[in-house]
Amino acid sequence: MAEFIQQVAIGLATGSIYALLALAIVLIYRSTEVVNFAQGEMAMLSTFIAWSFLNQFGYWQAFVLAIIAAAVLGGALERVLLRPVEEGPVLNPVILTIGLFTVLNSVALWLYGGDPKPFVAAPPFRGSALDVGPVVISRANVGVFCTAVVVMIILYALFNYTKIGLAMRGTALNRTAARLVGIRAGRMLTLGWALSAAVGAIAGMLAAPVLALSTNMMLAVILFAFAGAVLGGLTSPVGAILGGLSLGVIQNLAATYNPTSSPIDLPVAFLVIIAVLMIRPTGLLGKRTVRRV
Amino acid sequence: MTRTLPWRRVLGLALLGFLIIGFPYFNTMFEFMSGWPLIGWFLVPFRVFQAMRFGVWLVVLMGLNLLTGYNGQISLGYAAFVAIGAYVAAILMTQYGAHVIVAVLAAGAFTGVVGFLVGVPALRLSGPYLAIATLALVIAFPQVVKHDLVSDWTHASQGINFYEQGTPPLPPEILKDRVDNNQWLYYCAIVPAVIMTILAWNLTRSRIGRAFLAVRDTELGAGQMGVNVALYKMTAFGISSFYAGIGGALFVFTEAVLGPSTFDINISLTMLVMVVLGGLGSILGSIFAAAIMAWRADIVSEIVGVIPRGQEIRIDALRGAIYGGLLVIAIITGPWGLAGAVRRLPRIKDRLVAGKFRFPGVSGIVYPAVRPFLLRRLRGAKSADPSRRDGTEARDEPH
Repeated sequence: MAEFIQQVAIGLATGSIYALLALAIVLIYRSTEVVNFAQGEMAMLSTFIAWSFLNQFGYWQAFVLAIIAAAVLGGALERVLLRPVEEGPVLNPVILTIGLFTVLNSVALWLYGGDPKPFVAAPPFRGSALDVGPVVISRANVGVFCTAVVVMIILYALFNYTKIGLAMRGTALNRTAARLVGIRAGRMLTLGWALSAAVGAIAGMLAAPVLALSTNMMLAVILFAFAGAVLGGLTSPVGAILGGLSLGVIQNLAATYNPTSSPIDLPVAFLVIIAVLMIRPTGLLGKRTVRRV
Repeated sequence: MTRTLPWRRVLGLALLGFLIIGFPYFNTMFEFMSGWPLIGWFLVPFRVFQAMRFGVWLVVLMGLNLLTGYNGQISLGYAAFVAIGAYVAAILMTQYGAHVIVAVLAAGAFTGVVGFLVGVPALRLSGPYLAIATLALVIAFPQVVKHDLVSDWTHASQGINFYEQGTPPLPPEILKDRVDNNQWLYYCAIVPAVIMTILAWNLTRSRIGRAFLAVRDTELGAGQMGVNVALYKMTAFGISSFYAGIGGALFVFTEAVLGPSTFDINISLTMLVMVVLGGLGSILGSIFAAAIMAWRADIVSEIVGVIPRGQEIRIDALRGAIYGGLLVIAIITGPWGLAGAVRRLPRIKDRLVAGKFRFPGVSGIVYPAVRPFLLRRLRGAKSADPSRRDGTEARDEPH
C-alpha cells in the first residue's frame, strides 16, 4: 500500500508539470480555438531567458522578469503571426504553430547551444526530499504541484471575479456578440496568448530543475500536456489540471505495475485517454459544443 | 458519343510520361546541359534517388489528403499507419520470403483494414479531439513495436535492416543491360505512385469522392441527402490507410533500416504540414506536397549555402528557423496552399487584363516595359474564350 501511495505521489509530481502546460494550452484554445503546438517551445525559450536573467538578478526578480518577457513574446506572436491566418482555413493556425515550434527550437539552440544548463529551483523548494508519512517526495516536485494549484486559483479568480476576465470569457464564447457590447475582441485574444505564455513560462521554470534545462526539455512534455488537456476537456482549465495530473499518475502506475516484460506505459496511458474520449467525446469537463449548420 | 482528346492535353500527357519514364536517364542523355543553371540541378544522379522518394511520399501524402483534405478528418497520427504498412511488408519479405508485389499489396490491405477499424472509434470525435487521439497512435507505436510479444517479428529497437536481411527488387534478366539497380528501384516506386494517383483522381470524381466532400462540408446536410455519414467516414479512414500501407511498403526499399522511431511524431506532423502547404482537397496539392516533402532539406541547404559568412554566425543551428520561417510565411501568404495559388492564376490574369494587378517590388519596374505585349496576348486570348466570367459585354440587357 505504501508503495502504491508513493507511486501515486511520483505520478502527481510528473503530472503537475503536464498540468501546468496543459493549462497554458487550454488558455489559448479557449480564446482562439487554436491548438498551440509551439507552447512547449515558448515555455522552453522563456526558461532560457530566465536562466540568463539569473546570472544578474536574484531568483524572484528573474522569475518575474521572465514571466513578463514570455507574456510580451506570446502577445506579439498572436498579433504578428496568428492574426493574419485567423480568417483562413481552420487548419492553418495549427500548421503555423508547428512552424513556430521549429523556429523557436532552432533559435534557442542557436542562442544557447545544445548543452543542458543547470537551473536552480525556487528558494523554498530547494534541499533534501520531504518525508511525509509513508511517502518520500522531492521538494522541487512539491513546488511544481503547489504552484500549479496556486496558478489555477489565480486564473479562476481572474476569469470569474474581474471585468477583464469576463471580457475574455465573452470573447471566447461569441466573438461577434462580444464586439457588439464593446469588448475589444482582438485585444482579448492577444491577452489570452500573453497569459498563456506566462503560465507556460512558469511551467518551464518549475520543470527545469527536474528535467534539466535544454532545448529539447519540452519535446516529450508537450505531447503529454496535449493529451492531458484533451483528457480534461480542451475548454476547461480545471479539466486541464485534472487531466494532466491523472495522466501523470496513470503513466507512472502503468510503468510500476506492468505484468509484461517490457515497458507499456505509453500505450496504456493513451488507451485510457481514448477510452475516456469514447464515453465523453469532449473530455472529462469539456463543454459539449452545439454546431450551427 | 466518344470523347475527343484535345491535342494539347495529349501532348501534355505524352511529355509528362516521357519525363516520368525517362527521368533516370536524363543525367546521361542531357549531360551537356549539366552546367546550366536550374536544369543542371536536376541532372545530378542523386536526384534519381530523391525522385524515388518523391514517388513514395506521393502515395503517402495522397492518402492523408484523401482523409484530411477530402473528408475533413484531421489525423496527426498518420505516420503510425505508414509504419504498420512498412513493418508488414518488411516482415513478409525478410521472414516469409514473400514476393515484392505480394508484400506491397498485403501491406496495403492489412493497413487498410486496421484503418477502417480505427475509423470506428474516430466517429465520435472531431476537430482537436480526433487530432490528439490519432496522435496517441504514433506516440504509443514505438513501445508496441518494441514489446516482447512481437519482438520476434519486429526485432525490437534494432529494427529491420532490409538490405541485409532481404533482397531488394532487381531488374529482370532481359532488362539487365539497360536498367541498373537504382534505376529499377526508381521504377518500383514511381509506377505504383502513378497508379495510386490515377486511382485517387478517379476516386475523388466518383460517387465516393463526392460523398467525402459532402461529409466534410456539412455532415448534417450530407446525412439528410441520404449519404451514410458513418460508413463514408470509416471508408475514408480505410482508403487513406490503404495508401499509407502501400506507401509504407515502398519505404522499405528507400530506407535502409526500419526501426520503431523511423516514423516518429516529427514525421507525422511534417506530413500534415506538407499536405496543407501543397493544398488540401486537391490531387495537384498532394503532388506539390510530395515534392516539398522530398526536397525540403535541399531547399533549406540551398538557402543556407547563399547566406554570407554562414560559418561565423553558426548558420547550421538556424536550419530549423529557416525551414519553420518559410513555413510560416507560406501559410500566411498562401492560405489555400500551392494548389490554391495555381487555381487562382486565372483570376490574377483577369486582374492583369483589368489593369488592377499590383506588382510587388522589382517586378513593378519591369512590368511597364512588357505591358503592351502582355495585354495584347491576354486580351486576344480572352475574347476568343466563350467561358468568360466577368460579364463585360452582357451589359445591354434592361434592368
